[in-house]
Amino acid sequence: MTPPPAESVAAMIRPTPVTRDSKANRDLLRVMEGGSLGYFALVALAVGAMLAAGGVWIWQVYEGLGIAGYAHPVFWGAYIVTFVFWVGIAHAGTLISAILYLFRAKWRNAINRSAEAMTVFAVLTAAQFLGIHVGRIWKSYFILPYPNQRALWVNFKSPLLWDTFAITTYATISIVFFYVGLVPDLAIARDRATGWRKVLYTILSLGWQGTSKQWKAHNRTVLHLSGLATPLVLSVHSVVSWDFAMSIVPGWHATIFAPYFVAGAIFSGFAMVLTMMIPVRRIFALEEYITDYHFENMSRFLLLTSIIVGYAYAAEYFIAWYSQVEPEQTSFWKRAFGPYWISTWVMILCNGVFPQLLWFKKLRTNVPFLFVLSMLINVGMWFERYVIIITGLSREYDPAVWGIYTPSWPELVIVAGSFGFFCQFFLLFLKVFPVVAIAEVKELEIHAKAHGEGH
Amino acid sequence: MPQLLGVFEQPDHIAAAAKRLRDRGYTDMETFSPSPFPEVDDAVDEKPSGVRLFTLIGGLAGVCTGYALTLWMANDWPIMLGGKPFSSIPPYTIIAFELTILFGGLMTVLGLFLKGGLPSMKLHAAYSARFSAEDFGLVVSCRDRDVPEIDGLMREHQATEVSLVEG
Repeated sequence: MTPPPAESVAAMIRPTPVTRDSKANRDLLRVMEGGSLGYFALVALAVGAMLAAGGVWIWQVYEGLGIAGYAHPVFWGAYIVTFVFWVGIAHAGTLISAILYLFRAKWRNAINRSAEAMTVFAVLTAAQFLGIHVGRIWKSYFILPYPNQRALWVNFKSPLLWDTFAITTYATISIVFFYVGLVPDLAIARDRATGWRKVLYTILSLGWQGTSKQWKAHNRTVLHLSGLATPLVLSVHSVVSWDFAMSIVPGWHATIFAPYFVAGAIFSGFAMVLTMMIPVRRIFALEEYITDYHFENMSRFLLLTSIIVGYAYAAEYFIAWYSQVEPEQTSFWKRAFGPYWISTWVMILCNGVFPQLLWFKKLRTNVPFLFVLSMLINVGMWFERYVIIITGLSREYDPAVWGIYTPSWPELVIVAGSFGFFCQFFLLFLKVFPVVAIAEVKELEIHAKAHGEGH
Repeated sequence: MPQLLGVFEQPDHIAAAAKRLRDRGYTDMETFSPSPFPEVDDAVDEKPSGVRLFTLIGGLAGVCTGYALTLWMANDWPIMLGGKPFSSIPPYTIIAFELTILFGGLMTVLGLFLKGGLPSMKLHAAYSARFSAEDFGLVVSCRDRDVPEIDGLMREHQATEVSLVEG
């Protein structure tokens, strides 16, 4: 028998046009459509806060750091506090993406994309404060090892240099990680978009079509980036903590600082993810993808890291007492009962005490409660850095040089503006990139479908 | 040379079909998959992706650069700081560590681009939006006279549609 010519086979088996799209695509791409009045109001608020901060910053560049509230001996103020705060926020994304990926915790699928985005935006926000704090912004490139006519090099024994390398590496790797994860989802968006979005997604999706070679390389890349990012995420806040711990300021010079800062960073990062994702889930009706189970798992992380942070607070006080070193003891006594006692007790209550309520399952699954608690933790973690930096510096060795620092209004405007800076990126992200990793969610759906049909 | 496109709904079906076709000698094939399924990727080619080599080279380059940079700069204009040696390995290890991660990560992405054929300017003629929905596609290149056999094989493995790729 002679085989029929290819054309006739083709005529027999015409492909049917695609009429159905997967549910995950429809549900999750819908988030990017349009934008309500409330959305644009939030964008206006965020951009407004950022512009106000920008204006104040330009004034500071013109006028000098004198407009900040620095007073002898405190010359690290609200800018450094907020820098450390935002670097801390940046830790949840990589933890969720990298460490939970290595542990094969599948529940991360629902939140990893938004957490990675927050990581990128938080690092960008933190990086602003290095420039703001330096004061003479036009000299900030001195921190980089570049060839110059004086033939001078930077001092690699300084923790500030370690910080420069840690933060730039972290920013680069988290952007790369975010983008690599996005590529398959951008291809989904490309196949369905029209107009300017079609152009944008066609360029950004790099011609992805999910071939075996592409997926194989992609899986490997995500695995290796996770393996690299896991020690990185632990190192970044350790290095930030050494900015303090390598000095000899009482209250700073402690070996516990690295693990203490890392736990605090993960703690605050998870709190920020909850603060942002609880409203997002509500507004965009994503309950099917981001379930109470995900929030409960995140609150377990909050509880665990809260215990570590609480232990670190206790250990610091114990060691101060046990050391028999008078400046150390005085520094800690002044923390709790000195001029900055309010900040200290806000920190202890918000970070150490309130999260203990998460022992109760009823509260772990109560979303409004989690939202309020996550806000309190954000506040508490900002104050933790305030306590460490400000009280540490204001009560050093010699009582004759003690002093009081109060943040000035330009500093507070810039701190508030940093939240606007962060939120404007996040709001833009919601409308431009898929907020949940669609391809990964679909993987679970296809598995479920295959095994639901008599396998 | 005609190309046949089979559409499948489940990953194990397309994986079995791909394996079978390869056993029959049709090695010029490509799959489209909406999500990562290692069984599908391995059915086409069981060799592990070459990305690992890129990570290794990047990481090693990073650690060498980190130590070389710090040691050379500290000795190029030696300044005594706190009575510590010019070549202080412990603090320089931090720089070396960060550059290991940085170079390793960037090389890994270069590996993804080279091994995954990205960025590519043109999509495959058989690719369509259904493969970024929930369907799996298997494209096989063959001679005219093999078309019926491949058609039959794909349908045997529960292909929901088989068609000729145009263009």
